[in-house]
Amino acid sequence: MEKKDSRYAMEDSNLWYETYASDQTQHSSEALSSDSDKKFKLIGKHIKRIDGKKIVTGKAPFTQDIKLKGMLIGKILRSPHAKAEVLSIKLDVAKSLSGVKAAILMIRGNIQYAGQMVAAVAAVDEKTADKALELIKVEYKPMPFVVIEEKAREEGSPQVHDKRPNVEQRRGYSRGDVEAGFGKADVVIERTYKTAVEIHQTAETHVSIAKWQGERLTIWDSTQAIHSVRDQLAEVLQIPASRIKVIKQYMGGGFGSKLGLNEQTVAASMLAKETNRPVKVMLTRKANSLCVGNRPSTFQTYKGGVKKDGTITALSLLSHTSGGIRGGDRSSEPMIDVHKCENAKVEDYNIYMNTGPSKPTRAPGLVQGTFGLEGFIEELANEIGMDPLEFRKKNYTTKNRGGTGIPYSSKGLDKAYEIGAKQIGWHKRNKVPGEGKGRIRRGIGMAAGIWWGAGSPGTLADVKLHPDGSVEAVCGTQDIGCGTRTHMAIVTAETLGLEPKDITVKLGNSDYPWAPLSGGSLTTPSVAPALRDAALKAAEHLKGMAASKLKVSASSIVCENFTFQEKGNPKNATPFKEVLGDLSHEIVFHGERKGLPEGYAYNTFGAHFAEVEVDTMTGMIKVIKVVAVHDSGRIINKLTAESQVIGGITQGLSTALFEQRIMDNETGRMVNPNLRDYKIATSMDIPEIVPLFVDSVDPRINILGTKGLGEPPRIPASAVIANSVYNAIGIHIREIPMTPDKVLQALKEKEVAR
Amino acid sequence: MKEFKIAQPKSLDQVTSLLSQKNTDYALMAGGTDLLDEIKNKIIAPEVVIDLKSVPDLSTIKMDKTHVSIDAMTCVADLAENPIIRENFPVLVEAALSLASPQLRNVGTVGGNLCQRPRCWYYRDPDTICRKKGGSRCFALRGRNRYHAIFGGGMCYIVHPSDLAPALISLDAEITINGLEGKKNILRLEDFFTLPQNNVRKENVLEARQVLSEIRIPLPKNGSKSTYYKFKERGTWDFAVVSAAISGVISGGVFRDIKIVCGGLAPIPWRLKKAEDFIKGKNLTEEVIKQGAKEALTDARPLEENTYKMGLVEAVLYTAISSMI
Ligand SMILES: Cc1cc2nc3c(=O)[nH]c(=O)nc-3n(C[C@H](O)[C@H](O)[C@H](O)COP(=O)(O)OP(=O)(O)OC[C@H]3O[C@@H](n4cnc5c(N)ncnc54)[C@H](O)[C@@H]3O)c2cc1C
Repeated sequence: MEKKDSRYAMEDSNLWYETYASDQTQHSSEALSSDSDKKFKLIGKHIKRIDGKKIVTGKAPFTQDIKLKGMLIGKILRSPHAKAEVLSIKLDVAKSLSGVKAAILMIRGNIQYAGQMVAAVAAVDEKTADKALELIKVEYKPMPFVVIEEKAREEGSPQVHDKRPNVEQRRGYSRGDVEAGFGKADVVIERTYKTAVEIHQTAETHVSIAKWQGERLTIWDSTQAIHSVRDQLAEVLQIPASRIKVIKQYMGGGFGSKLGLNEQTVAASMLAKETNRPVKVMLTRKANSLCVGNRPSTFQTYKGGVKKDGTITALSLLSHTSGGIRGGDRSSEPMIDVHKCENAKVEDYNIYMNTGPSKPTRAPGLVQGTFGLEGFIEELANEIGMDPLEFRKKNYTTKNRGGTGIPYSSKGLDKAYEIGAKQIGWHKRNKVPGEGKGRIRRGIGMAAGIWWGAGSPGTLADVKLHPDGSVEAVCGTQDIGCGTRTHMAIVTAETLGLEPKDITVKLGNSDYPWAPLSGGSLTTPSVAPALRDAALKAAEHLKGMAASKLKVSASSIVCENFTFQEKGNPKNATPFKEVLGDLSHEIVFHGERKGLPEGYAYNTFGAHFAEVEVDTMTGMIKVIKVVAVHDSGRIINKLTAESQVIGGITQGLSTALFEQRIMDNETGRMVNPNLRDYKIATSMDIPEIVPLFVDSVDPRINILGTKGLGEPPRIPASAVIANSVYNAIGIHIREIPMTPDKVLQALKEKEVAR
Repeated sequence: MKEFKIAQPKSLDQVTSLLSQKNTDYALMAGGTDLLDEIKNKIIAPEVVIDLKSVPDLSTIKMDKTHVSIDAMTCVADLAENPIIRENFPVLVEAALSLASPQLRNVGTVGGNLCQRPRCWYYRDPDTICRKKGGSRCFALRGRNRYHAIFGGGMCYIVHPSDLAPALISLDAEITINGLEGKKNILRLEDFFTLPQNNVRKENVLEARQVLSEIRIPLPKNGSKSTYYKFKERGTWDFAVVSAAISGVISGGVFRDIKIVCGGLAPIPWRLKKAEDFIKGKNLTEEVIKQGAKEALTDARPLEENTYKMGLVEAVLYTAISSMI
């Protein structure tokens, strides 16, 4: 997927995670010396962002803010039809409008979804570009389409792809013998869970600026993946990657929708080439809802067998998922991995329909799968009258694949259970779900989560020292808002005995040393160890230089407090600056994030606990408190780590309660492509959030023992609310978003059943 | 977006004389929070936008012996903070504070709030030409209709978006409409709104060349109480799924007089007369209130996805009324 043009790729939106995030053992090398015993001064503390003030005072330049001399504004014309043949497109009138510099075709073949791009224009300003779009005459021949999952599954529904059925089998999974497992169970139940399509609502909509200088192309892009944009664009434009530079300094959110090349970057590049002027293309909120990806919907039917003592004997999953014209998400990972179970089986199907293509959305598949599985686990526990926390502990495993695979390098989920249960007051929960009385019912629930997040071996970073005493940390990663700049400064400063503000951080430029895309929780466990490696080499070199000054051997020197000093004798010291002053020219130290030792599974874990209130008269769910406990190895910066967790919970709450793409069967269009009707959580909906970390250091994952944290807090965040609602009212709402209509309906059904 | 000219009249007379120029397509702009959205999304394309903000002295709240009058250009935030309003009409303050967001309340006006256009997603889709926009059908009827009308539909199933309107109607408010040649027309706010079957293109009786200038509310009688309860899906910045404005006179734990006007239920603010009749004079038990709602709901005609609003009517009435006793 990395190397392919993402626009035409048919793969699952989460496929690359599996190749990227889970199969890195092939890069394996010698066991790493770990820093696990080190006492750090900066690492692991609450450190303010080095660019925080710049961001909150509006001084940080986001891609949308950039204006180049002579820059044109590009706009994209989109199809209102969900499926159509394009009979003709007339660009002439638009082209002849004064101020319009180019109008080009962007479509090959038929229209596949409403919102698909058809043509693009570049003009001197936004107004003119808008007018030009109106002057493009397109003759469409509408064709039969399908935009609702249930309808796409019906026999004889309009076929979405010529060479694929609407319902297409995906890779499954099997271990042991599930039928035999069900046979051994005391109780076997089956339940179906559904999740709606979620849109990546980034604060900054997608935007790219392209500028050609002869054969060379520079792209300013709001992206999570400068290197992927460069490589994919090179392929689409058929030019060498070496001639493209991609820059991204500040970004207003991506959540996966900016993981690779997007259509606006291609349009900007083509328009810039045609006009020989820089061109900026920025998407509208509406386009953002239709064309840049989405989290696929899922329909997950779990069947599980359990013995009275809590042993899970077998689990099976039949999953259907729709990512529109592209594949859906694999939601089976939690079921395959998290809880002990010898026998497991997965059958998985894509549903194709005429809606915009999916893209990875923060923890693709795992969010949906965790909502399904962790809900099912609560229901299984309830069937045998067991406390769901005890049930999870009973089925705890330190090996992957439900206890049948290889050992986890580290797994702090048991500690997370313990800390979280204590913090939420687990004993206060209803012993029997729904046993409370009155209009407002309270409930407490939990959910566990797993993710990858080991980082990418081969990540490179440099530390550059200048004779004037200044230090650079350089890496071709990108800060997508999570605080990468700050963690780079922290790691470098820690190693050299300086303060974060003393480090000049350079990132967000594809000319810098390679780092992976910022997705899949890869960034910190890739970049931090690479930089640590470079900084250790720099420190080593400088200690050698300081040795003669201090008249001790290099090995007995430490860098601390802006000095090089003799270990145990801080008076024998020489200032950092003075040592650098002896350099005759700048010098660079290359660092690398090394491979992962074979034979272990590298995963992150987390457990969320929540308390909710349900108004049984209105069906309204109010989340009171969420406690999140994560095992992400060593935490580099507590402050930004906590922010990351708060953000994940906010998003998870939002999809649990509000978010859903609503498609119209008749027009084939999304009816809520705006932030009024596509509802996301507001500040008034956010409860008390307690982010906590299991203070563990992975012994072999990398030299800092750190794991990723991008996805993990998002994973159990929707499931935990559903499980808490179950505890409150005794009904499991098996579909997100859990809007009041669904809660009321469920309460009504329970009333009738009584 | 089509380009438009902006006109900045300096008096209401200038507004009406601008309006009297024939053959020009005008739109009145108050705060612009809705109008500009409609223009940008290509739902409407006026040639001239008349900026009412340029008219001085159109945003005062005054009290005389019998009435409180509110100028149309009073912004929603000022309405909510006004001591006269706070003292006399809790329902209006609660409705004002329940709507939109602080930013929108600072800009949006009372007149604009009453005249704002529906948020039906088919109406707001530039590529869908529904009946309200001159097309031949309503797409909500068999389409996606979880937020649509359960009362008063038929031709068109929008719900009226205003929170202030139910509150003001429950208080028996009147409005002043200025027409051509200085003509003034006073009518009950309740008669201002009109159902799709009368004119599917509009939500009220305002003619093309008229402007709403003032709202007048009679001072409350002794023993009057009022409240607004709005059920929305999220904590803020959300239109009513179902809301109820309730005003009346309570004595001895019983409503002697009651008016119930709902938002989110119908193309116009919807009065639950059957509920009023049932509840009036009875002891206010949960059963009585809910039965009142049920009586009113016998006239409801929910669509495929909005039956849940029926249950919410009961919940909203119960919550609102029980907060008054
Ligand atoms: C995201 C969002 C959420 C909102 N949520 C709510 C909500 O929950 N509840 C609620 O009640 N409102 C809500 N609103 C509406 C908001 O409260 C404004 O009051 C409303 O948009 C109109 O105010 P305005 O003064 O800006 O009107 P404008 O946008 O200026 O005008 C709106 C319409 O009224 C006409 N008009 C304005 N003034 C007059 C006049 N004096 N005479 C004749 N015609 C006039 C205009 O021509 C236009 O058609 C919301 C708006 C937005 C954008």
